[in-house]
Amino acid sequence: MTGAVQQAHASLLEVVGATKHYPGVLAVDDVSLSIEAGQIVGLVGKNGAGKSTLIKIIAGAEQADEGHLRLHGERLELHRPHDATVAGLAFVHQDLQDVGDLSVAENVMLGLGYPRRMGVLVDWAELRRQAADALARLEADIDPREPVGDLSVAQQRLVMIARGLAQKARLLVLDEPSASLTDEEIEHLFAVVRRLRDDGIGVVYVSHRLEEIFELTERVIVMRNGRLVADEPTESLDRASLIFHIAGHEHAQTSVQRRASRGVGGRPDAETVLEVEGVSAETGVRDCSFDVRKGEILGLGGLMGSGRTELVRAVFGADRRQEGTVRVNGAPIFGRDPAESMAAGLALLPEERKTQGNIMDFSVRNNITLASLDRHRIGRRVPAPSGRSEKRAADARIGRLSIATPDDRQLVRLLSGGNQQKVVIAKWLEQGADALIFDEPTIGVDVDGKEEIYAIMEELAAEGKAVVFISSEFSELVGVCHRVLVLSEGRIVGELEAAAVTEPAIVELCYSQH
Amino acid sequence: MSESASPSLSRPGFGRRSKGFDLLKFVSRYGVVITLLASILIFSVLNDRFLEADGIRTSLNLGSPLLMLALGLTAVLAMGDFDLSVTGLQSAAGAMVVILIVNHDWTWWLAVLMGLLLCVFAGSLNGALVSYAGMPSFITTLATGLILIGIRYEIADGRNITGSRDLPDIYRDFGVGKPEPWLELNTPVWIAAGLAILMWLLMSKTEMGRYMYAIGGNPEAARLSGINVRALRAAGFTLVGFMALFAAFTSTARSASAVADSGFSTLLGAYAAAFLGAAASKRTLFNVPGTVLGVIFLQAVDRGLILEGYSTGVRDIAKGCILLLAMAFTRLGASRQ
Repeated sequence: MTGAVQQAHASLLEVVGATKHYPGVLAVDDVSLSIEAGQIVGLVGKNGAGKSTLIKIIAGAEQADEGHLRLHGERLELHRPHDATVAGLAFVHQDLQDVGDLSVAENVMLGLGYPRRMGVLVDWAELRRQAADALARLEADIDPREPVGDLSVAQQRLVMIARGLAQKARLLVLDEPSASLTDEEIEHLFAVVRRLRDDGIGVVYVSHRLEEIFELTERVIVMRNGRLVADEPTESLDRASLIFHIAGHEHAQTSVQRRASRGVGGRPDAETVLEVEGVSAETGVRDCSFDVRKGEILGLGGLMGSGRTELVRAVFGADRRQEGTVRVNGAPIFGRDPAESMAAGLALLPEERKTQGNIMDFSVRNNITLASLDRHRIGRRVPAPSGRSEKRAADARIGRLSIATPDDRQLVRLLSGGNQQKVVIAKWLEQGADALIFDEPTIGVDVDGKEEIYAIMEELAAEGKAVVFISSEFSELVGVCHRVLVLSEGRIVGELEAAAVTEPAIVELCYSQH
Repeated sequence: MSESASPSLSRPGFGRRSKGFDLLKFVSRYGVVITLLASILIFSVLNDRFLEADGIRTSLNLGSPLLMLALGLTAVLAMGDFDLSVTGLQSAAGAMVVILIVNHDWTWWLAVLMGLLLCVFAGSLNGALVSYAGMPSFITTLATGLILIGIRYEIADGRNITGSRDLPDIYRDFGVGKPEPWLELNTPVWIAAGLAILMWLLMSKTEMGRYMYAIGGNPEAARLSGINVRALRAAGFTLVGFMALFAAFTSTARSASAVADSGFSTLLGAYAAAFLGAAASKRTLFNVPGTVLGVIFLQAVDRGLILEGYSTGVRDIAKGCILLLAMAFTRLGASRQ
């Protein structure tokens, strides 16, 4: 009797007290929530707020340290992603995870076991029919025989949703499904999502576009620093209150204090070192212009995928520019390759220290001198490196940056992440550019290491260098930068200077529609 | 307490390592050298002619073109590329030079210059296709190598071209001559030694060499550090072209002919030498001294087996097994780290 009553009231999916630790980080902190059938729930929060980890737990890709899941009131154990599929949970991830060379039909039915004839032969006609059924429910005009790689991004997302339907999903999680879709395509996507809701499917809609959250969802869940900080009906919220939940205020205070104690003010009144005008690139950068002065630290804020890394790569010549001009100390650089930019006095410390920053199988010494090897010759005109000169330079940098390594011959591979990052910094300090772009230098670096990296940037600025600092931790930007530009979808959408540089202001700009 | 004691009980190697000597580590580090020394020891015990000076000289002479090819490969392999066209190039250039002298009465040095042009052109073409057009080096050079072998067969009607009568003495001296005061080693050995020293200087002592290893380690990080990755990768293939010419020149001069053969076993020999050399180095990087060691190793095994009267087939099998063994030693070390 009581069982039946419970059944009637049980939510489609419940997360009960989920907690997930990663080394040094509490990614998800005691989160409890429930998703109802036939409801669209928005899930929002900054990068690193814990949304992805939470979704991974529901998808069975990560195991929670504590807490559990309930499906229709019954305990649900997910040991691997396949368990979630069997339980009727379907996921459409931001980066498309379909197999481009296979047909639409094969992708829709992927992982479900293709229909067979005589036990071994795939029944292609039946396969196409089942796929066509799923696509028809989405009113998607897609030929099941076409290779998925030939479809538009919007069509590929629909194929992923169709896969969910073919799995007879009861819960559909859409992670940033509207990214790189046109307005029209987004309208169609919304219509599809609403129809699925009307069919009784529970939908979790993850998006950074707050307009979509207000238009589509009935309930909003906000995460911040791994915790669930708001779970309310959408109609009870307005834009300002939602941004308040997303940004929070605990951190803002300390970074403002740091800013005040360090005396970070507006941009210095000095000559311009780096000028960027109307830069666009195939990587999604659209008409970006900015300049950086001597002694200035300029922050680039924005959410993941907002185009910050793409912008600086186009400026540095790591990616090809379509349009725009870049000048360093007044002289134009044409963006042919990084060597050209370096000769002009521009340096980029790339985002990925393992794949872009260091030669992992080189020694600390050889990495530090790699970008300035011609200054360590045995004779001025003899292009052969002098080990003694290299060692002197490397030892000096190791000491100044307190890089924890037994000696300068240690392979960089064997250092910790923070020390690998310092080796990248050492290489570019050694190279001696006038303008240095730091792309996410503090990722994976511990608190002390972060302070050291801020100090290095401040020191460089004090020496009269121009510094660009990209970070997804906005409190860092507030604590260090004279000025902050915010990017969204490849464009610069706002600029903050001096006392106006606050965390809520940056967050507000990140979520602004342009 | 019991926890800290258990590893040395369950894993005998653990206790030994803590005493400062680890057999497995030692074998993986020096496996190639140990195998080489062991082979020399065994062969010299089996046959006292193995260490005869004359035989060793012949062996070195025969191995010289192989070393030249392997030196070129060491450069491209260090940058993470393959060049499978090298023996095709050697064979086509050799045939062209000999035909120009024998059938068309060209002056020998002009013919060699034409061979050089062919080699530099084909090498640069490989470089352009791989580095600038972005085609995968493995299949690209397999294709150009096939084309070169085809050209060689067409210009020579698929036959050996002998020139024992028509090749001038000065040309033949580059293959069999012995610059008198020097240890009685043949000219090709000296040329190969000179090229090895130059390549060693280039790869180990110059900025260019450092950049080449940086590209091999991580091409994207190298590019973002301002290294001209494309130009250097392309240059590697041109370098292979140069080496192929030297190999063609000295081998045709020695045999006074251009032999019609696909060069397949030479190709494998050159790669085997380069990989043995990498396996012998501390950080398993392709390197010139290692490649020299690899060639000596292969020539020693070949000579030992010939003296024991084994056929070509058996020798190939033995060399294949040795190569596998050397790789296994190296992997043993890598998987333990």
